[in-house]
Amino acid sequence: MSDLLRAPAEIKYAEELDWLESIDDHPKPFSWRLSPKMVRLFILGSERADGLDRDVSQKWFGDRSFVERSIVTLASDRGLLLIGDPGTGKSWLAELLSAAISRNSTQVVQGTAGTTEDHIKYSWNVSMVIAKGQSRASMIPSPIMTAMETGTIGRFEELTRSTSDVQDALISILSEKYISVPELDGADGENIVFAKPGFSVIATANSRDRGVNDLSSALKRRFNFVRIPVVTNKKSEAEIVRFRTEELLRRHAIELDVPPTLLDVLLQSFADLRASAAAAGSDDEKLESALSTAEQIGVLEDSILHSNFFGERTLTARALAASLVGTLARREPEDLAILNKYLHGVVEPRGKEEGGSWPEFLEGGREAIAKLS
Amino acid sequence: MTGTPFTALRGQLHDAATEFAGGEDALEGILLGLVDDVDRAVAEPLEIFPVCHHSPASALAMARRLREKQPKVVYLELCEDMTPLLTELRNCRLPVAVQAFASDIDGFPPDWAPLSVVAPITEASAEYQAIAYALDTPGVELVLVDRSSDHVFQWDARHERTDDPAREDGTGAGSGTATGTEAETALHGEAVGVEIGDLRPRFAELEEHLLRHGRVRHWSEWWHQYVEVPLGDSDHDTYRQVMFLIGSLFRRLAPGDGDRVRVDEDRERYMWTRMREHLAATGTDPADCLYVCGAFHAASRVDEFGVHGGDGFEITPRTATTWQYGLIPSSNAAIEAQFGLASGSVSIAATQWTKNLKRTRVKPYRLAGQAGTERTAKKALPPTVLPAAGAPAEDRLSGFLQKPPVLDTLDETELLGWSVDIVRAARRNGYLASTADAIAVFETSILLAGMRDRAKPTPYDFQDAAVTCIEKDRVPGRRDVRRLVEIMMGGDRIGQVGYEALPPLARDVHDRLAPLELNLQQRGVRRALLDMTSRPELRACSDVLWMLRRLLPHGAARPVMGERRLGERSIQESWDLALGTHQRALIELGYEGVSLEQVLEQRLRRTAYGPRATTAEVLAAVEDATLYLGGRRLAEELGTRALDVLAGERTVDGAPEVLRRVRGLLAYYRTSEPVLPPWIESFVRTGYAHYCTLLPTAFRDEDATVGQVAAMLGFLFGMESLALSLGCDRTQLELAVAQAHPNDPAKTALLWAARVQLGTLSRGELRARCDELLANPLVVPSYPRYLSGFVHALEPVPALADVVVEAVSNAFGRLPDAVLLPWLPVLITTLRSNAAELAPLLIREAGRIFPARLAALDAWVPPWHGQPAAPRALPAAGAAHGAALLAAHPATCDALAELLGRTEGWTEAESSAGTGAALLARHPATAEALATLLAPR
Repeated sequence: MSDLLRAPAEIKYAEELDWLESIDDHPKPFSWRLSPKMVRLFILGSERADGLDRDVSQKWFGDRSFVERSIVTLASDRGLLLIGDPGTGKSWLAELLSAAISRNSTQVVQGTAGTTEDHIKYSWNVSMVIAKGQSRASMIPSPIMTAMETGTIGRFEELTRSTSDVQDALISILSEKYISVPELDGADGENIVFAKPGFSVIATANSRDRGVNDLSSALKRRFNFVRIPVVTNKKSEAEIVRFRTEELLRRHAIELDVPPTLLDVLLQSFADLRASAAAAGSDDEKLESALSTAEQIGVLEDSILHSNFFGERTLTARALAASLVGTLARREPEDLAILNKYLHGVVEPRGKEEGGSWPEFLEGGREAIAKLS
Repeated sequence: MTGTPFTALRGQLHDAATEFAGGEDALEGILLGLVDDVDRAVAEPLEIFPVCHHSPASALAMARRLREKQPKVVYLELCEDMTPLLTELRNCRLPVAVQAFASDIDGFPPDWAPLSVVAPITEASAEYQAIAYALDTPGVELVLVDRSSDHVFQWDARHERTDDPAREDGTGAGSGTATGTEAETALHGEAVGVEIGDLRPRFAELEEHLLRHGRVRHWSEWWHQYVEVPLGDSDHDTYRQVMFLIGSLFRRLAPGDGDRVRVDEDRERYMWTRMREHLAATGTDPADCLYVCGAFHAASRVDEFGVHGGDGFEITPRTATTWQYGLIPSSNAAIEAQFGLASGSVSIAATQWTKNLKRTRVKPYRLAGQAGTERTAKKALPPTVLPAAGAPAEDRLSGFLQKPPVLDTLDETELLGWSVDIVRAARRNGYLASTADAIAVFETSILLAGMRDRAKPTPYDFQDAAVTCIEKDRVPGRRDVRRLVEIMMGGDRIGQVGYEALPPLARDVHDRLAPLELNLQQRGVRRALLDMTSRPELRACSDVLWMLRRLLPHGAARPVMGERRLGERSIQESWDLALGTHQRALIELGYEGVSLEQVLEQRLRRTAYGPRATTAEVLAAVEDATLYLGGRRLAEELGTRALDVLAGERTVDGAPEVLRRVRGLLAYYRTSEPVLPPWIESFVRTGYAHYCTLLPTAFRDEDATVGQVAAMLGFLFGMESLALSLGCDRTQLELAVAQAHPNDPAKTALLWAARVQLGTLSRGELRARCDELLANPLVVPSYPRYLSGFVHALEPVPALADVVVEAVSNAFGRLPDAVLLPWLPVLITTLRSNAAELAPLLIREAGRIFPARLAALDAWVPPWHGQPAAPRALPAAGAAHGAALLAAHPATCDALAELLGRTEGWTEAESSAGTGAALLARHPATAEALATLLAPR
C-alpha cells in the first residue's frame, strides 16, 4: 500500500472490506461481495446504534438518499449515471461503490474527445493477429468487457466528453448485456461475450459539460440519473475538507497541523465567493471556477505543500490566501478584479471587526494579487 | 405507585436503566417518569383522548371511541371563541380554516395589526370526528376549552424574542415561502396557525436521531412508519397508552425553553380550569365526558391537571380588541407550509384515512350536509361490543413496546398501480417515460424499501424511486417528478367555504352578481359578458364588479373590455372573474363591513384622513367616491377635506397630479351637474391663492421641477376665469409672477411664457430674447434647456405653440452640431416622459406651419422670417392700449358721460403713442372697406 502514490479504494480499505464481508449476513444480489446495506455502511460509516465491534469511517459526505438510490440502481437492471458539477465527489462515490461491490474499482474507461468504440468494446493485438490470426487470445478486451466477463462493475468517467457515436456503443451493452465479436467464428460461441450477473456500469458526467455531447434518449433510458449537488452545508463541507486533507498529509508524510481557525477562514471565503457568484449578473462578474469542495481541498493542499517545502513548516493565513488567489485567478483581469473586490470589500471590514486570522489573510491575498498583476 | 397496572413495566425499565446507565440517575428518572405520566393520564376520571394532528390513526381511534362511549360532553383543544363557527363547517368543502381576525387592535403593539389566527380543519383528523359527532348527535355538547384568540397574542412573547415566535409556540406563521405552489401555500396569508395535537420532538437532536434510525427523511414519514402503521388497528387502551407515552417522551426530552413551556403549561391550566368550570356549572358526570387534546398536553404535570386539580389559575381578561370570525378556504399545501410538515404529508394522510376506513369498515362521522364527498355515516349506530368502558386500565404498553415492529406487507397491486400512474403522469408532463420505466420504478421501490428495512415501500420510497428512474433532465417550468408523485398521491386539495358560511358581505356580492348566471363560487376564471343596453339590470352588476376591482387583489376581477371613468360608462363590458380563487380575500373584506359600499367608504375615508394624505390622494378618493359610490355626500365631505389638506401643504410636489384631477372633476361637474358643488368652488379659490403664494418660491426652489411649476401655472391660468368669477384677484397672480426670479434656464423660459400669457411680455419680445440667446455663443449651450421650459409652457399657455415650434426650428437651424446632437436624445426623452400629452399639440402646430409637400419646401419661407424686423411688437392685449383707442374716438364715451350727468371731461393721457389707434390710422383700408359694406344698410 505504501509504495502506491494513490491506492484505489479496494486496496486502501482492503482490511475493512474483508472484515465487513466476514460479518455480512444479509442477502447479496448476484456476485456482489457485500450486501446493499453493508455497502451503504461502508460508504456512509457506522454509528453506535449499528452495534458493530469496530468503527467504520465515513468516506463520502452527502445526502444518504443519494447513496441508497445509487446502490439500488446497481442492483437493478440499469446503469448508474452520477451527474453533477465538477468537484462534487462523483468519481469518488463511483470508486467506493465499485470497490465495495466488486472489489475492483480500476475497470475504468476515461471519456475524452479521442475515446473510440474500441476503448469500450475490444481491440486487437496486431502482432498476434498477424502471427496466429484472429482469436480470443489475440483480442484485447476493454475494461467494460472485462467487467462483463467477470460480473463486476465497470466505470465510465466523463461520459459526456466522448462523442455520441462512442456513447451509443454502450446502448447494446446495457440492454442486451453482451458484445458480439463479428471477426471471430461463431461455431463454438466465441463470437459473443456475455455479461455475467453482477455486471453494471457506473458513469459520471459533468453537468457543466451538458450539451457538448448530450446523451441520446436511447442511452438516457438505460441509465438511472443520480444528481449530486454542490455541498453547501458548512458542517459537512468542513468534514470533507478535513477528511481529504488528512489523507493527503498522510500520503505525503507531512507532519503539519491545519489550525481549525484557518479551516474556517477557507470555508467562509468559499461561501462568500459562492454567494457573490450566485448574485452575479454575467459571467464576467463571477469567477470562472465552480468553487466546488474539490477546489477548496486543492487550495488547502497547495498551501500545505508550499508551507511544508518552502515555508516555516506551519500553515499560515498568508500562505492560504496566496494559494487561494493562485488557484482561483484563471482569467486576467476578470478573476483578479473579482478577488481584489472580495478582499477589499469583504475581508478587510471583517478583519477590522473580527480580527483573528483575517488581517493576515488579507495581507497575503494582496501580495499575491500584486504579484500576478 | 405500586399496585397500578404498570408495576411490571416499571420493574423492567428500572432494570434497563440500571444496565445502561449503571444505577439510579437521570435515565431512570426519565423512564419511570414516562410511566408515571401514562399512569396519571389513564387514571384521570375525565377520559382524556390524546390525538396527533393529521393522523389518520387518531381519527380512526376517535371514531371508534365515540361510537363506543357516546359521551355527552366533548371538550376540545381549540380556541374557545371559535365555537359559533364550527356548525358552519357543514356548508364548506374541507379543508377550511377557522379564522379569528382583528384589524382594529387595542391592547397590542400597533405594528402587530392586523392580527389573524387560523385553525385549519381537515376531514382526516380526529378533531373533525369529534366536531361532527358532537354537532350532529342530539343532546351532546361541544365545548372548546383552549385559550381565546386574544390570549394567543397576549401570551405571545414575540416582542421579547428575536427568533421565530410561531414555531416556538407550536404554531406556525404562514410564510408562503415554499416553492412551486405559491398560490396554494399562501392561502392562509400572514395568519398565525393553531393546531390541535401538535406532536413533534422539540429537541432537534432527538428528531434527528429518530429520523436517522428510522431511515426516513421527514418527521411526517417517521410518524407514519412508526406510529401510524403500528397503531392502525390497535384497541382503544393501547392507542391511548401509546399516545400518552409519546407525548410524555417528547415532553420530558425537551430543552428547557422557558417561554414555550410557560405558554404550554398556561394553556393546560386554562383548559382544565375551563373544564372544571363547565362541569361545576352543568353538573355533568366526568365519566360522560371526553377531553380531546394533543398527546403532548395529556402528559401535563401542572397542578391544575385533572378534575380534582388545583384552582389556582386565574384567567386574564381579553383586551379591548374587536375580533371578527369567519371561515376561510385552506389547502393541504397551505397546512404543510404553515406547520412545517413534509410536502405532501397531509395529502398522504388523507389517502391513508380513506384506505383505513375501507379496510376497517369503521363508519366515520360526517356533518350532515357536508359538501364534498357523499355522506356515508349514519348517526347513533348501536355501540359495537368492545371492552366495557370504565373497566380498570390494563398495561398495554409492555406488549406494544416488546412487539417487533409491525411490517406492513407489500401491497403489490397498489405499488404496480402507482408505478404505472407515475409513468403516465410523467409522459403527460413531457418526460420520456415508458413501460420500461414503470418496471424500473416498481423494482427500485422494493429495493429501496428493503435497504431501509421495510417490506412495503412508503410513498416517500416510491417518490425516491420515481425520481431515480424517470428524472433525467431538469427543464425550468416543467413539474419535477417529486411534485408529480405528490400530485398523484392525492395531490393538493383546496377547500371551499360554502355560501351559507360566508360573511354577509361575501353573500351580498354573490347575490348581486347572480344575474350574471355564473358559478362564481367555483375556483378558476369565469368570463362574464355584460350587455347593458339589452339587459339594463346588469348595470348593478357592473357597479359591483368595478367596486370589487377597486377592493380585491389583482386578478380577482379584471375587466377585459369596457372602462369606467368620470362621466363615462361602457354599454358593454366583459370581465374575467376569479372570485372562487380569491375567496379568502373576499371573506376578509367581509370583516371590514357588511357591504362593499360600506367597506369602500371606510377605506376612502381612511386614505383621506390619514396623517400623510396629500391633496392628490384625497382628490383621487373624491374621484373614486364619485365613480363607484355615486351620490354627492361622501364626495363633498372628502372634497372639503382636500381643501384642508391643500391649505396645509407647503410643497408643490403634487401639483401636476392635483391639476389633472381637478381638471377632470371640474369637467365632470360642469357636464353632469346643474351647478358646481360648493367644495370645488372653494377648492379653486383656495388653490388659486395657494399657488399664487407658492409660485415665487417654486420658481426659485431647486427641488421643484419645471413640470411642477408648469402644473402650478396651468392651474392658475386654466382655472383663472372660474377663480376670478368667484372673487379672486388677478393682481395677486401678476405680483406673484413679477416676484419670480428663476435661475434655471427652463424655469426662466416658463416665466417668459407666463408673462406673455399675462400680457406683460409681447411675442415679439419673446422672439427677440430667443434670438439673443442663439446669437450669444456663451449661452448657446444652455439653449436646449430653455426649449424644454417652452415645451412645458405649452401646458399653461397652449396658445404659445407657434412660438415653441419656431424656437425648436431655430434650434435645429442655428445650433452648432456639438450642442445640437447631444441634446436631441434629451429632447425626445423629455417629450416622451414629461410632455406626452403636449406632443400632439406641438406636432399639429408644426404641421400647420411647415409645408406639407417636399416640392413646396424650396420656395418656403418660415412665417417668422416674413415678418418685419423686431422690435415692432404687435401688442397682444392690455388695458393701456384700449385706453388709447378711447382717447382717439371719444364720441361714445362723451355721449355716455352726458347721459350719466358727468361733466368733468377727459384727463390727459400720458403716452398714447403707437397702439391700436395708430394702427388704424396707418392702415385705414380695412375700416374703409367695412364702412362701404355697411353703408347701403
